[in-house]
Amino acid sequence: MTYQAQVEIKDPIGLHARPAALIAKFVKAANLDVRIGHGESLFVSASSPLRLMTLKAGFGSKLIVGVEGLEDSAAAEVVAQIQEFLGG
Amino acid sequence: MALVNGSILTGLGVGLNAAVARVWRIERGESLPARGTSANGALVEANALKAAIAGVSAELDSLGQNSGATNAEILEALKLLLEDDELFAVSQTHLAEGWSAGAAFAMAVDDFAQLLGNSSPTVAERIADLQDLSKRVQFNLAGIKDSLDLPAIGPLILVGEDFSPAETAQFTSAVVGVITTGGGPTSHTSIICRSRGIPAVVSCAGADSLENGDLVLVDPVGNRVIVGSDASLATPPMRFLAVSDEPIIAVRCNIGTRLDAEAAAKTSSAGVGLFRTEMLYLNQQTKPSTQQQTATYIEVFEAAPAGPIVVRTLDSGRDKPVPFLTLAPAETLLPEADGYRLLGEHRGFLIEQLESLEAARALTGRELWVMAPMIATVAETADFCALARPIGKFKVGIMVETLSIAGLIGQLKGIVDFVSIGTNDLSHYLFAADRVNPAPGTSTSHWEPTLIRTIAQIAADGRAAQIEVGVCGESASDPAFAVVLAGLGVSSVSASPWQVDVVRAALSSVNAGLARQIAKAALVATSAEAAEAAALEHLPTA
Repeated sequence: MTYQAQVEIKDPIGLHARPAALIAKFVKAANLDVRIGHGESLFVSASSPLRLMTLKAGFGSKLIVGVEGLEDSAAAEVVAQIQEFLGG
Repeated sequence: MALVNGSILTGLGVGLNAAVARVWRIERGESLPARGTSANGALVEANALKAAIAGVSAELDSLGQNSGATNAEILEALKLLLEDDELFAVSQTHLAEGWSAGAAFAMAVDDFAQLLGNSSPTVAERIADLQDLSKRVQFNLAGIKDSLDLPAIGPLILVGEDFSPAETAQFTSAVVGVITTGGGPTSHTSIICRSRGIPAVVSCAGADSLENGDLVLVDPVGNRVIVGSDASLATPPMRFLAVSDEPIIAVRCNIGTRLDAEAAAKTSSAGVGLFRTEMLYLNQQTKPSTQQQTATYIEVFEAAPAGPIVVRTLDSGRDKPVPFLTLAPAETLLPEADGYRLLGEHRGFLIEQLESLEAARALTGRELWVMAPMIATVAETADFCALARPIGKFKVGIMVETLSIAGLIGQLKGIVDFVSIGTNDLSHYLFAADRVNPAPGTSTSHWEPTLIRTIAQIAADGRAAQIEVGVCGESASDPAFAVVLAGLGVSSVSASPWQVDVVRAALSSVNAGLARQIAKAALVATSAEAAEAAALEHLPTA
């Protein structure tokens, strides 16, 4: 079961090193299986700050977050936390 | 050949205190091991790589514990990149091809560097960080010790090309001064030296000739290094005795991003004198929508110090290209001369930028002044003002950077509300100097009498035409020069965030009459050195 939701990059500098590091740290610490991407097959592991940076997501762009193996409500909280790291 | 005592090496000073000690050169001696294959098998190499990554990680940890908070935070971020599982996974694909651990890791870093592209200075910095990690892992595997190995007792003056975050973290208390041939006022070395109170002179090309053991004076206030000198030649930081609470003219701040705006808000700055909007666009591959632009401007305006915000519309040229605005190729000696020409070709973008600024102004309630860069003629000025005025409730003006417009300020009466003199570009035009490739020995001192005379003329013409004249650019960050500017009739200056307070102090230590007297003394000088000396002589310092 994959929970999917959209997030928006509200950090003016885009998905740069700092938010990528925060997301990866959070996902690893909570031992989550989260993938983020532009949609279609272009998903990367959210536990890899380098892969997240290669998404080259600029300010205002929208990304899909996929969370595996969690109840919808818990997964929604994960997405909300990731949105917070991305600004807004 | 050793430098003779008394030799002066100029650069950019960081800090207010001087230091005298012997030179300790940091050489990039060890080159990277050649990338080779291994007969040990992928499994053995993978374990070796794991151990090397753990080793470098532990190095970064211990460096972080011994350095300040600013550096520790940077090292923590580096560790996350180093320990990225995907980086290891990509290394393993190269190990499977038969490469050695070091070669495989280096290739994986190269792979990611390529994926990240080289779209912006920020990305380029991250790639440099990654390559530094790659070097550390390769050195660890090759058994090469890669530390600065600084003595714990000094004092010593470190001399090198530039220093990475991992290197600045190794500065011991023996390091009392730093000199780099590279870097600039905002490079990593400068930031760390500023935060740790270590005097530094960066961008000091002549430092290549310094040898181990040379006794040198690092004189950041004087923007120089003097060989064989004691502290008596150090330029004293200027301390001013306030004669009033308020400076005689407004002191504002130069910013480019929200972070700059936050830094400016911590100073005594009366608003923003130059908001360089191109900083927000240099990373963008595609044109941001007006909503996106508005959102960014709101963040900057909300963070900015109280007072008017003077916004310069997009200034792009071959020296700082904005990816989504391309310019037809043209031969030009002065690459930055494209500013308004570029916007002429991208009128639609200029309109959207002004609309976004107006939306952000309306939502934040801030007082906004807008100005166009690189204006050369009265017709261009009229064109910009006619475009901007109906779009928003701004004061409208232009930058005075070209010689052609500098002579026409009187003719701008009734067209503009204000002008802001960009002294960096103006002096480059005055001396026909190329900003990107400066010829050796070209004078770009803002104390050059011809620049002072040009500013005096602009200020006088502005006054007669009821146009406010401000100055932004590096010259306004020099406290003594700011007093000269006030004496010439300039009504506001805009300085770098870390100079705002001292510029304000200088402008609070004189009355208008004394400022005019100091300006007059500088005006009649026949050289930059004489002009500066004349101004300093009349300036009351503590």
